[in-house]
Amino acid sequence: MGKILWVDLSKQSFQIKPLDKNIIRDFIGGRGSGVKILYDHLKKGTDPFSEKNLLIFATGPLTGTPVPMSGRFSAITLSPLTKTILDSNCGGNFGLQLKHAGFDMLVIEGKAKKIIYLAITPDNIKFENAEDLKGKTTIETRNIIEKKEKKKGSVVTIGPAGENKVRFASAENDGRFLGRGGIGAVMGSKNLKAIYAKGDKKIKVADPKSLEFFIYESRKWLKANPITSTGLPKFGTAVLMNIVHEAGILPINNFKSNQFASASDLSGEEVTEKLFIKKRACYRCPVACGRITKTSSKQGEGPEFETLWSLGALLGINDISWVAETGYLCNELGLDTISAGSTIACAMEMEEKGFISVGLKFGKKENIHKVLKDIAFRENIGNEMAEGSLLFSRKFGTGNESISVKGLELPAYDPRSAHGMALAYVTSNRGGCHLRAYMIAPELLGIPKKIDRFSDNGKAGLVAVMQDSAAASDSLIICRFASFAISDEYFSRLLSAVTGEDISTMNFRLIGERIFNLERLFNLREGFSFKDDNLPSRLILENLNKKRKINIDKMLNEYYRFRGWDDNGVPTSKKLEMLGLK
Amino acid sequence: MSLLKEFSRIGRDLFLSGLVSSHGGNISIRAGDKIIITRRGSMLAHLNKEDLIETGLYKDDSGIIMASTEIIVHRAIYFNTSALAIVHSHPPAAIALSLFMDEIIPIDSEASYLLHKIPVIATKETIGSKDVANIIPDYLQEYKIVMLRGHGAFSIGDILEEAYMLHSTLENACRIIAYGKIFGNAFKEYRKDGDKYTKW
Repeated sequence: MGKILWVDLSKQSFQIKPLDKNIIRDFIGGRGSGVKILYDHLKKGTDPFSEKNLLIFATGPLTGTPVPMSGRFSAITLSPLTKTILDSNCGGNFGLQLKHAGFDMLVIEGKAKKIIYLAITPDNIKFENAEDLKGKTTIETRNIIEKKEKKKGSVVTIGPAGENKVRFASAENDGRFLGRGGIGAVMGSKNLKAIYAKGDKKIKVADPKSLEFFIYESRKWLKANPITSTGLPKFGTAVLMNIVHEAGILPINNFKSNQFASASDLSGEEVTEKLFIKKRACYRCPVACGRITKTSSKQGEGPEFETLWSLGALLGINDISWVAETGYLCNELGLDTISAGSTIACAMEMEEKGFISVGLKFGKKENIHKVLKDIAFRENIGNEMAEGSLLFSRKFGTGNESISVKGLELPAYDPRSAHGMALAYVTSNRGGCHLRAYMIAPELLGIPKKIDRFSDNGKAGLVAVMQDSAAASDSLIICRFASFAISDEYFSRLLSAVTGEDISTMNFRLIGERIFNLERLFNLREGFSFKDDNLPSRLILENLNKKRKINIDKMLNEYYRFRGWDDNGVPTSKKLEMLGLK
Repeated sequence: MSLLKEFSRIGRDLFLSGLVSSHGGNISIRAGDKIIITRRGSMLAHLNKEDLIETGLYKDDSGIIMASTEIIVHRAIYFNTSALAIVHSHPPAAIALSLFMDEIIPIDSEASYLLHKIPVIATKETIGSKDVANIIPDYLQEYKIVMLRGHGAFSIGDILEEAYMLHSTLENACRIIAYGKIFGNAFKEYRKDGDKYTKW
């Protein structure tokens, strides 16, 4: 029987609750179980920064097992950036330690009167004063708490951005990040500077022999596939830079272009040659796509592909050392690099149009570090930019300068050059995200097979199936990169061996569909509608490639039908009944 | 790529690689609440626009009279799985092995990696059969391709090409098993845990 550690920060009290076995059966764990608990306990219209918002940290059934690429955990909450449901997934060891401490899930409600950190061990739950950590960076905070707690555990921390409720503040854990949607801001709103976990409880699996066989079969593919065996290990996630740019998918200058002569200056090859110190792997990961890097003056984590894009190519900047240092700065301040870079790009365009005067210009590095600090501390124009690019551009510009969906800034894939990605963005339940259905896999990388990326035909079903698959694998929890080499038929067998329940591949996908639909219901309850399933006008009206334009309405209609939703994008009674959500 | 081009590409290759006879086999995709399936009696190697029949996934319409005989099986598969594409072929070596085996365990490397195991199921009536429609989706919950004894293979995929690949891999694997049997010597296992493939 799983356990939930349910903490009330207002009362500084906690309860240990059993994790309902029906939730495990119907939602697996991780993202799925978190979404279910959030949906059941959060009232419609809750302010994301109120004491009533829940912040959930969830492990999955694979957490702590020898399954490769399973060393991750999820955080689930109501997003302060998008006001949608939010789950974020991180490769630090916090989930592992939480599970070793005896808990599958940590649910946090309320708000501490003063800044505190929470310390979780099998024998004790402590609410520690953390006033002395106010204003400290993520890394400083982690180092101080590790010293205080003596035993090496794992610490989730926020930086100044989280404390100041910057709507796209991240949370750090062992050099990895809960990046998107403002998890750090929710921690800040609860006066929760950090969470430490340490445990030594053993993690058991139901059928170790079968698990060993399925792990072996999975590892064979991970070793054979050039992406997981060579590309990511050798060059990190930046291995994507040249390929994405050459395909005309990399957005430049706030999505005004897809051509950047200097894109290769930001490639995986350049990271390896100029910055690389060593690889960094998540727990039990044979791929080790993480990077510890160094410039002439600093050392840090990353930069990942998305950071090289958002703080580099998107701004028209090709200085890789500067981009790495800007990434370090965001990490220390606790800012999501995608939203931070995109909000800067948005401001650059607004300045170009004469709406603001901050000293930001495409291709120029000047003032960017200062503005990032201003955002984190909510000073000067940074206070407005801390609201996210959409609110910022609506207040000072036309609103069209924000390249976002439901308020979440788009990542490094221009949907005009990958039409399936367009549909994936608009239907993603946490806003414009590439990880809910990574259509770049079939549209560019040929996984499972290559399809026409400029076509709108047949994308609806594929996006839906990939969303369901991602929702289920985020609930296991297993890294998205595993899907480059192994698929749901492996995931369902790994899950069956760990739990002892016979879960077919199709049932695995059905669980994913249930999770995705419940997230949709959550967003509908919060007031979202089909009108929000839309792209920024630039991406629909401007024909960057002189190829076919995106016909988002056609794809959406087909998508709603495929999903068993009505014309307004609302799941029908029949569909909800089939999924057991009625 | 247009839908016709995609169907034609797969249909032609199915015929040229000997996986179907001149008028055998059928392929389909799911598009929302519609199914697009090859015409009954069409030549997969020479598909034209009129050979692609669009009909309802959940309910019949007039298109049903043109659809492949196997539409009942295709529909049952779409109802019960998340498949977006289905290929049905008549691979000779695989059919031959299905007459003697209850499951096909590949011994070559490619199929071992891709398929692990292919279940063989048997029904008394095999073409356009309700029995097949009732049984096959259960197996496709766990496996991407299954053999119907004496008849042929059904596979599923997220993309048509993916579903096609499984037939090609299966037939190659079965030829290799058959060649191995001709040589008559005992199979020399080279894979770690090769004996566990039956548990896949």
